[in-house]
Amino acid sequence: MSLLTVKDLQVSIGGKSILQDIDLTVSRGRVLGIVGESGSGKSMTAYAIMRLLPDGSELSGEILFNDTDLAAASEEAMCQVRGRSIGMVFQEPMTALNPLHTIGDQIAETVRIHSKVGRAEALRITLDTLRRVELPPEEFPPSRYPHELSGGQRQRVVIAMAIALRPQLLIADEPTTALDVTTQAQLLSLLKRLVDTDQMALILISHDLAVIANTADDIAVMRNGVVVESGSTENIFNHMQHPYTVSLLKASGHVPEKLAAGVLADEPLLVVKDLVRDYRLPRKRFFDAVNYFRAVDNVSFTIKRGENVGLVGESGCGKSTLTRAILGLEETQGGTITLDGERIVAKSEMSLACRRKMQVVFQDPYGSFNPRHSVGRSVAEPLHALEDRPDRLAQQKAVQEVLERVGLNAADSKKYIHEFSGGQRQRIAIARALIIRPSLIILDEAVSALDVSIRAQILDLLVELAASDDIAYLFISHDLSVVRSFTQRLLVMKDGRIVEEGQTDVVFSRPQHPYTQSLIDAVPVVPTVFAQRE
Amino acid sequence: MIQFLRNRRNLIIGALLCLVFIAAAIVSFFWTPYDVTTLDIANKLKKPALPYLFGTDHFGRDIFSMIMVGARTSIAVALVAVTIGMVVGVPLGLFAAANRGALFDELIMRGNDLIFAFPALLIAIMITAVFGPGALNAIIAIGIFNIPVFARLTRAAALSLWERDYILSARVAGKSRLRISAEHILPNLLNLLIVQGTIQFSLGVLAEAGLSYVGLGAQPPTPSWGRMLAESQTMFSFAPHLAIFPGLAIVLTVLGLNLFGDGLRDYFDPKLRHNRRSEAAVPLDELALLDSEKGRSIK
Repeated sequence: MSLLTVKDLQVSIGGKSILQDIDLTVSRGRVLGIVGESGSGKSMTAYAIMRLLPDGSELSGEILFNDTDLAAASEEAMCQVRGRSIGMVFQEPMTALNPLHTIGDQIAETVRIHSKVGRAEALRITLDTLRRVELPPEEFPPSRYPHELSGGQRQRVVIAMAIALRPQLLIADEPTTALDVTTQAQLLSLLKRLVDTDQMALILISHDLAVIANTADDIAVMRNGVVVESGSTENIFNHMQHPYTVSLLKASGHVPEKLAAGVLADEPLLVVKDLVRDYRLPRKRFFDAVNYFRAVDNVSFTIKRGENVGLVGESGCGKSTLTRAILGLEETQGGTITLDGERIVAKSEMSLACRRKMQVVFQDPYGSFNPRHSVGRSVAEPLHALEDRPDRLAQQKAVQEVLERVGLNAADSKKYIHEFSGGQRQRIAIARALIIRPSLIILDEAVSALDVSIRAQILDLLVELAASDDIAYLFISHDLSVVRSFTQRLLVMKDGRIVEEGQTDVVFSRPQHPYTQSLIDAVPVVPTVFAQRE
Repeated sequence: MIQFLRNRRNLIIGALLCLVFIAAAIVSFFWTPYDVTTLDIANKLKKPALPYLFGTDHFGRDIFSMIMVGARTSIAVALVAVTIGMVVGVPLGLFAAANRGALFDELIMRGNDLIFAFPALLIAIMITAVFGPGALNAIIAIGIFNIPVFARLTRAAALSLWERDYILSARVAGKSRLRISAEHILPNLLNLLIVQGTIQFSLGVLAEAGLSYVGLGAQPPTPSWGRMLAESQTMFSFAPHLAIFPGLAIVLTVLGLNLFGDGLRDYFDPKLRHNRRSEAAVPLDELALLDSEKGRSIK
């Protein structure tokens, strides 16, 4: 007997159809994975089950939960269901917790809203729940505040809030997307354990096919508000029916054709030597000595002309600081950075000639453009670094050329950035980087925010451009599978130091440092042939 | 259309009230029912009735005409004062944000604190003590008080913009901080500044009325709402209309400007943009945005 059965669920907002004919079932002790790209309606499905749809939306169909139809339930009845029978975990652990309340209070609050228990009993349940999410109260007393915990620990607290009352169903919407790979692996196994021990049902929503493949018992693949394929995980992976599922799988394991090794000229382009970057820490007391935090600690590496170098590490390891230092945006406290023979120094002393050899593409396709400038103006911005700046007409021509090179229309230069999708925006960001023909492009998590199919296209584009323009990439990412397929050499960074360096293939097959090993182990991999699971 | 009006009730009521007073001020240049400088003792202290719509004061001057001309003073003083505040304060704020943590930033911001520490009225009294009372000095006093308001607002908002990726790309392109401030930061602050400007405008009207009330604003014979109030208070028991009409004029103008400012803020606020867009029924992009919004914080 299934716990939750969704039948013919339809949702429309403001007359526009969002979800059509959704059929899903979950039973206790099982994990249903919903996978799809952005805009596929996977989050909307979760909100529909919780009846948390935005104003102006209409819902029809049946949502049978323990034989009550949630689709027809009153708001009061839903308040009883939410948090008590169905728990929910959202993606962002940084904003899901109130920074002013202790974690214990926040867990106890959920308990006390739904069950009339006293303070002492609520505290007992809180301690018990913390133990269940593997935050032993001896080490993590409930009097801690969210800012005293890491991202993964916070997400555990969020899960604790959701499961404190032992709900029958837990909905987790991208619970690990904001976390590092090692933390992600730990949290996924925690969720699986909770499903087993509590005989809870779990709906796991993710854009990452690999995460779903390794965790879910059943899978529903969604696209444009429709479930295109569903079934048991083995079935889906062994007998894939729908072309969209096939293309999704292909895209997530996409390997762009690498440049043939050996064509590299043995000419160093970027040389970083003994780089040190210290941040001044705020004084705890007025007369304390000033303390420093070393974000980049004696880092040295070289990128050759036309080479693809990956830089991986978890959040807080100093990747971004290193990027900013290379770009000459931050002062350094020691060591040197040389680009094509010229020293890079922060502040304006850096020559324009040096600036034009280096460009950057950022992660966030929404934040990297001034919303008030036209695309053409944004793309033309790096031309500022040329000594003999071309006139308006020539600039326009250059913009149109480069837009066409990245697969957009020349006419797009007149449009504004909000008219483009995430993938198109990333193409525009690449166009902006290309326009002055740099020798080095730093890709700072440039494909992390993109859907797999779009990510595959962008990676292909980057490789193609590297071949034709002789561009070197410093590819910074937390996603090891992308780094593996895209780069020739790999740097692994931890706590501000580079702990391992070598050919990408070699590092992946024979990692030397235990940290590299743990990173590689934590990466969820889509199995090629799905073996029958226990 | 009705939905459109209902959602912007504040904006529309505010705009209408402001328009009425601005129109009154403009019309007063060409025409007023009576001349406000001519005394007509025979018709003094008339109750509100035609031909004297709002009645007459103790010199027999038409109150309706005086309010029209008074609107001129109020609006001119407040407008010029806000302009002074913006023209000086915004560049200071931009400059401070561009050189965050530098000595200059500290100097500007501590200087602001210093000005903030004096109430506007105290500065006005100081200035009039030195230069003598008058509308011009009221403008300068209110203007000085407006500078730190705009400088702080601009600096705070600009600092958050400086963290954006597109600012980093502009810096990578080798643009100077000054240029980035003008090209990228200022245009993105305009909404905020317009809203704050409206609210400072209403505070300016109030401040002008206050200064005139204590005799430090516009000097006779120039009519001013604040001074009309001050002159009427001894006659309040037998001629309340002398106080009620200028009082109403001040309240309604300030109310109108505040509503207008609130309405503008709602209109510009991206958090409330959601409502505006659902009217246009484009929820599909909204969904895509919802999803991608979540994917953004992976860093």
